Amino acid sequence: MRPREQTISVGGIDVHAWTGGQGEPLMVLHGAGGNRGWTRWVEQVAQRFTVWAPTHPGFGRSGDAPWMESIDDLARFYLWFIDAAGLGRPHVLGHSIGGWVAAELATMSPRSIDRLVLVAPGGLKPERGEILDIFYHPPAELRTLSVHDPTTIPEWDELFGRAPTAAELETAVRNQEMTARLTWKPYMHNPRLARFLPRVTNPALIVWGREDRVVPLDCGEQYRRLLGNATLSVLEKCGHLPPIEQPDTFARLVIDFLRGPIRP
Amino acid sequence: MKLYYFSEMPHHEFPDEEGAKYPSLRLDFPNRFFSPEKARANYQRYLDEYEFADRAGFDGLMINEHHSTPSCVNVSVNMTAGILARTTTRAKLLILGNILPIEDNPVRMAEQLAMADLISGGRVLSGFVRGTGVETWWANSNPVHNRERFEECHDLILKAWTTPGPFRWEGRHYHFRHVNPWCVPLQKPHPPIWIPGTASPETAVWAGRRGYTYVPFLVPFDVARELFDYYRQGAAEVGRTASPDDFGFLICAVTADTKAKALEAGRHFVWRMGPTLRGPVEYFSPVGMRSRAGTQFAMRARPRSLATMSYDELLDGHYIIAGTPDEVIDRFAHVRRELGIGHLLLEAQESRMDHPTTMRSIELMGAKVIPAMATG
Repeated sequence: MRPREQTISVGGIDVHAWTGGQGEPLMVLHGAGGNRGWTRWVEQVAQRFTVWAPTHPGFGRSGDAPWMESIDDLARFYLWFIDAAGLGRPHVLGHSIGGWVAAELATMSPRSIDRLVLVAPGGLKPERGEILDIFYHPPAELRTLSVHDPTTIPEWDELFGRAPTAAELETAVRNQEMTARLTWKPYMHNPRLARFLPRVTNPALIVWGREDRVVPLDCGEQYRRLLGNATLSVLEKCGHLPPIEQPDTFARLVIDFLRGPIRP
Repeated sequence: MKLYYFSEMPHHEFPDEEGAKYPSLRLDFPNRFFSPEKARANYQRYLDEYEFADRAGFDGLMINEHHSTPSCVNVSVNMTAGILARTTTRAKLLILGNILPIEDNPVRMAEQLAMADLISGGRVLSGFVRGTGVETWWANSNPVHNRERFEECHDLILKAWTTPGPFRWEGRHYHFRHVNPWCVPLQKPHPPIWIPGTASPETAVWAGRRGYTYVPFLVPFDVARELFDYYRQGAAEVGRTASPDDFGFLICAVTADTKAKALEAGRHFVWRMGPTLRGPVEYFSPVGMRSRAGTQFAMRARPRSLATMSYDELLDGHYIIAGTPDEVIDRFAHVRRELGIGHLLLEAQESRMDHPTTMRSIELMGAKVIPAMATG
């Protein structure tokens, strides 16, 4: 089934979304770089699940939300989106700030979602090290810091291989602005999130790149400890973008987890 | 035309090759290169120079504030204004300015400015600025909120100055249960407000609507004229016609007994145009700080950065004026003719320009240049 693009109005905001695939619903929440659409890993996961990949308000082709102040605002918004789009009780997968959104919404309403996949999410303050200040580095430098080895990334040329158009640059700036709006202070974490995570006993898979230079692996260990029913899977020779850096391995991990038995 | 004396209070007390090792002198350059002993002497020296400028006849003393940079170690305009309010007697105290978006307590700022106005006998000119990105990083203030916070902070200060308290303030960024400052300005309804500009058309329009004095900093004449047009547009919206008194301009300037001496002294200004402005764009303009219109205007308005200009080019463009008093009078008159301004702000000390050179320049300005410029 070919993916389609649609616009779903939630709370007065037109949310752009990619939808496609077959099977139980899986909501995919993108990171600060924006909604990359139907990439290789999504294609594979969509063989087994109906993927809903909305673009966050303030990003890409979705409407503005200048009133939002924090990631928990966005999490509350996505609980509303789940209802508005009629997703029932979807699995939720989020990457980077999208993972942070997923974790927040799980703490707010764990029964609204099924299984949870957190991919290198922000949200927790590392006990060792620091979350990279993504606003402090020029874009090219940030891309280098985000991945372990660009030469091993199968979709590198498609995603980053040419100079962006003026419209794409404009979108990139808009994405960054919305990220700043949501994550500036406290930077990339919510000091209270750790207190609420134990409420979440949904089966959870946490995926991290061993060489992540953006959000330290230490945060993954914290998430595993704090969530009631979580597994941490660490990908070797991988940075902050597991879905892009190792799409086949990543897709397999996700499918196996979402289709696998519930751990007692 | 009125003349204002201004020093950034630089701390250029380190080997330049050390500073060059870092991406920028701002934010990154470690403060182990800050010398408290040198700074102790420099603060006294800089204040002496301000006080001499007051006695020499300058119409105003301009002070500014930056953070996390050796280019300007005046870390609190209101503290400096408090000192000069007491130690000077006649010049206006042009605070240009308080960095509103990074201020968390506008009521405290309103009180401090009021106290400086009272101690100085009503000499405060209260400039409000949005700050560079560096200040936003320093304060860890969200750049996306910069303009909103600027405007709300301004509105609250104005209300604290002009509306009898107590009152409550529940805004978007500021929340105060009891606003009732027991210190309000001497000047009524409040001290005059000045706004600087480099690239934001919105700021110029906003200042024009409100009738504030508007001062572009170190931009080409054609850019300044365009910004003044935006100001006039704002003024016209409220049925006001702008006059030269609404407009100022900032340049670097030094005079000396001979042209050769002045040109040698003027070279110190190159430091503030180049090395102190070096750094990634993210430091000076973090994401969201500038509107799309502002960014587009900036790109169109200044095709070349000051950092790429030679000393001669900076002189030719009137970013720096250095000469004998007669030559300086001629150049200042040219600036006045070109821009139709009523206020010329002189960054008159920089980098390692020494105390005797600075004092002689102030003295000559007072004796010859200021009287010549006072008419017209």
